[in-house]
Amino acid sequence: MSRTMISHHMPALRLAVFTAVMLATGGALATPAAADAGYGFPTVPPAPGPAPKLSVPTPFAQILPNGLQVISVLRAGMPLVTAQLVLRSGGEMDPPQLAGLADLTANLLTKGAVGKTAPQIAAAAETLGGSLTAAAGWDESAVGITVTTPKLPQALGLLAEVVRQPDFSADELKRAQAQAVDDLHLMLSRPTALASLAASRGVFGDGAYGHSRSGTPTSIARISRADVQQLHARLYRPDNAILILTGDITPAQAQQLAQTSFGDWQKPSAPLPQRPVGTTASRMPALLLIDQHGAGQAGVVAAHAAPPRNSADYYVGTVANAVLGGSYSARLNEEIRIKRGLSYGANSRLQALGDAGMWLASAQTKNPSAPQVVDLMLGEFKRLGGSKVDAQELAARKATLIGGYGRSLETTAGLAEEVGELAVYGVKLGEIGKYIEQVQAVTPKQIQAYAHRHLDADGSKVVVVGDAAQFGDAIRKRHPQAVLMESTALDLDSPDLQPVVGSGTTR
Amino acid sequence: MTKRLRPAVLLASLTLFAALSPPLAATELSIPPIQYHQRILPNGLQVISVEDHASPNVAVQMWYHVGSKDDPEGRSGFAHLFEHLMFKSTKHMHAEQMDRLTEDVGGANNASTGDDVTNYFEIVPSNYLQTLLWAEAERLSNLNVDEPNFKSERAVVEEEYRQSVLANPYGKLFNAIDPYSYTVHPYKRPTIGSIEDLEAASLQNVIDFHNTFYRPDNATLIVAGDFDPKQLDAWVDQYFGWIPKPATPIPQVTAQEPVRKKNLSYTVTSATAPLPAVAITWLIPPAADSADIVPLQVAAALLSQGDSSRLYQSLVYRHQIAQQVGVDADGRAGPGLFTAYAILASGHQPAEAEKLLHEEIIWLATQPIPAAELDKVKTQLLTEELRQRQTAQGIAFALGQASLIDGGAEHVNTDLAALQKVTEADVHRVLQKYVTGAHSVTIDYLPQAAGKGAAK
Repeated sequence: MSRTMISHHMPALRLAVFTAVMLATGGALATPAAADAGYGFPTVPPAPGPAPKLSVPTPFAQILPNGLQVISVLRAGMPLVTAQLVLRSGGEMDPPQLAGLADLTANLLTKGAVGKTAPQIAAAAETLGGSLTAAAGWDESAVGITVTTPKLPQALGLLAEVVRQPDFSADELKRAQAQAVDDLHLMLSRPTALASLAASRGVFGDGAYGHSRSGTPTSIARISRADVQQLHARLYRPDNAILILTGDITPAQAQQLAQTSFGDWQKPSAPLPQRPVGTTASRMPALLLIDQHGAGQAGVVAAHAAPPRNSADYYVGTVANAVLGGSYSARLNEEIRIKRGLSYGANSRLQALGDAGMWLASAQTKNPSAPQVVDLMLGEFKRLGGSKVDAQELAARKATLIGGYGRSLETTAGLAEEVGELAVYGVKLGEIGKYIEQVQAVTPKQIQAYAHRHLDADGSKVVVVGDAAQFGDAIRKRHPQAVLMESTALDLDSPDLQPVVGSGTTR
Repeated sequence: MTKRLRPAVLLASLTLFAALSPPLAATELSIPPIQYHQRILPNGLQVISVEDHASPNVAVQMWYHVGSKDDPEGRSGFAHLFEHLMFKSTKHMHAEQMDRLTEDVGGANNASTGDDVTNYFEIVPSNYLQTLLWAEAERLSNLNVDEPNFKSERAVVEEEYRQSVLANPYGKLFNAIDPYSYTVHPYKRPTIGSIEDLEAASLQNVIDFHNTFYRPDNATLIVAGDFDPKQLDAWVDQYFGWIPKPATPIPQVTAQEPVRKKNLSYTVTSATAPLPAVAITWLIPPAADSADIVPLQVAAALLSQGDSSRLYQSLVYRHQIAQQVGVDADGRAGPGLFTAYAILASGHQPAEAEKLLHEEIIWLATQPIPAAELDKVKTQLLTEELRQRQTAQGIAFALGQASLIDGGAEHVNTDLAALQKVTEADVHRVLQKYVTGAHSVTIDYLPQAAGKGAAK
């Protein structure tokens, strides 16, 4: 919380990755000619000068004898370094019925290690000027800190302790469980957050990406200390890890610091566990309405299955998403917000994961407008396959993507994130400099073909969470197949959200 | 408020820092000053620039000295609604053309409205600097919104109200802080306004507001990044120099918020919040009073920045009665607020958090502060500042905040020097003066009963 600054629009979700040169799309502007009589103030915007060059820093990678991959990217200028220890495993490794285990394990790393208590670890990190943050994503778990250059050796020492020798004390587990359950209640009270969770079930079914990565109140309660210790033993090992150092640091310094902090981390003899299957067939209805009584708005989401990160379609999908909902000026926001005033913001993202992926479009709107937003969203998915994207629109959305990518590389934390994503999915690090040509190469024809392949209306999963008394009948009139559930009756641990036994009310 | 001894268990937090080996002095972290250039055009426009070629981008920001404190009578939320309309048509630009000149060429734009200021900010590849200077001059001098755009954008702002206040489980609490904390000053009106007042706004209000506040002598242009200073000056003169300075004075808020005479308590309820919460506020001096504001910021950081902070350690970690805590020294152009809040853990009530919040603040205001702990927060605040200054946009924001709210552009450098010099005595002095020795407003936030839980 801080002073109330209210923005024109929410920052768009940051999209995919990579760049090299800023584009000059001078054609978008008229040449300056006419001027208002009297003032000499031009009546058309001045045209741009020649495009400047962006220099993308080069990542430097090495592998220690124990299998730890060390990646550094030098960006001098500010005396800052971001250090991230990334594991190539995350929430997809949660065992059945233990949703949230990987995230809880990451969270517990900093809550006691090598004789230091949780408060002592927090104090040590914060005395260095940063804070140790740890969480599990899909396909990765990460612990990181950003500090000034002189504090880096101490920060890495601390990072190594919490990653390699966490205590996982029973007291801390209990505390973390109680906090996680309260966090979940908070999250699930937000309509779009709940709708997104339900839509993930619709796309991934009972597959590894289908459950709630932060767990559910019931799954969190089931987790034992032994579960946490076993997950740590299986996944937190040097040959499953990447150390990323970005900022004011040379490759030689990175190598030496990595060796000091992680060089004697032993690699276990057991093979690395296999990544489970990401998707199974879903039994969720194509259109699900969840009644959250008294909700101030309805959260509307529409999802589709997407190809994984390493598919040949990745850049086509990235550009297609930029057209559909990747920025303020993209189609969803244009139709839902700018033209009709139905929402503060509508957007989409493409989540391309190791073994599967998901498209997710979302918007919050006043409850009575939910039916209209559902149809607008579905209409925009359909339009991507129905006609070719106009050349000027495509050039604009590519420029947005490329510009955003370039800016993401301006901070040490942004650099670490981009490099980390490449490394986790085994993409060659040199791709960091090829983004622009990959994005530029995507054609309208490819986007249309992609939409036919992956965004067919039959495959869409729509979820609306809100005060259903204000939209339920109207939606079911247009979509008779829509199913209504009470938010209090959902079982988020179940692949179809229906309680296995008990009193779920499905009408 | 009575001062009381604190239970022995609370002493644990002190040993956290007392036990550390002598800290690396925070003063060893020196941040190079921002080398900015400042000038004022004959029509009163203030221009601040920082040349920095770290990236091929340039940040262009227009800060207007107008905020929700200047909302017309019966039109709460108007300054913010107006901000949205600045993206609609002008004499020479069609609606959303700012997006064509930014997003479509690899840049980005946004704007925000606060109590005191409204800022419009773009980041673009540096070859678009001239274009953006023209566009900002255009919407300063030639705004021309039509009725359909006015109505559809007002609907967007109403959705923003619903999203941030109604659909956010703690939105109603944070929206209630200003109305309950001020009695006279127009800060008491929430920036987002109300649906009723937004509905009452007219296109004529838009024209009047633009004429009254959007004038060169009420604006600051900030440019940071990849540009040539001589070229910048020439373009600024060309596009902004002709805009006339109106003869009428700029309306100023003159209301004086009286000193609080007693502690007050209020209760707000929510249909969707899963857990109770509490917020407590105290009045603090204007942000330009850096001799007091900087130590208040240090106090806020000691109380709530990071997991080793005093409130986190007490309420979240040891007593486990809160799920989230925060303290903010919210300095404004006028009287600001020192705000402490807690979202409770399940099974706990606001009174438990209030008791501990008060105890921790009294303890901080009266008892020795370990040198290591004071150094810790200085290092945290300096590191945070360095992180912000990695980008042209970050540098421009720091200058805008300094220039329009903190008392002048020079504060971007002098407040950091002041931060390094804050002592235990400073922290004690400001807390005793404005917090423990003054009166509070407490807002309890309670979920409405009736079994409306979330999904399990």
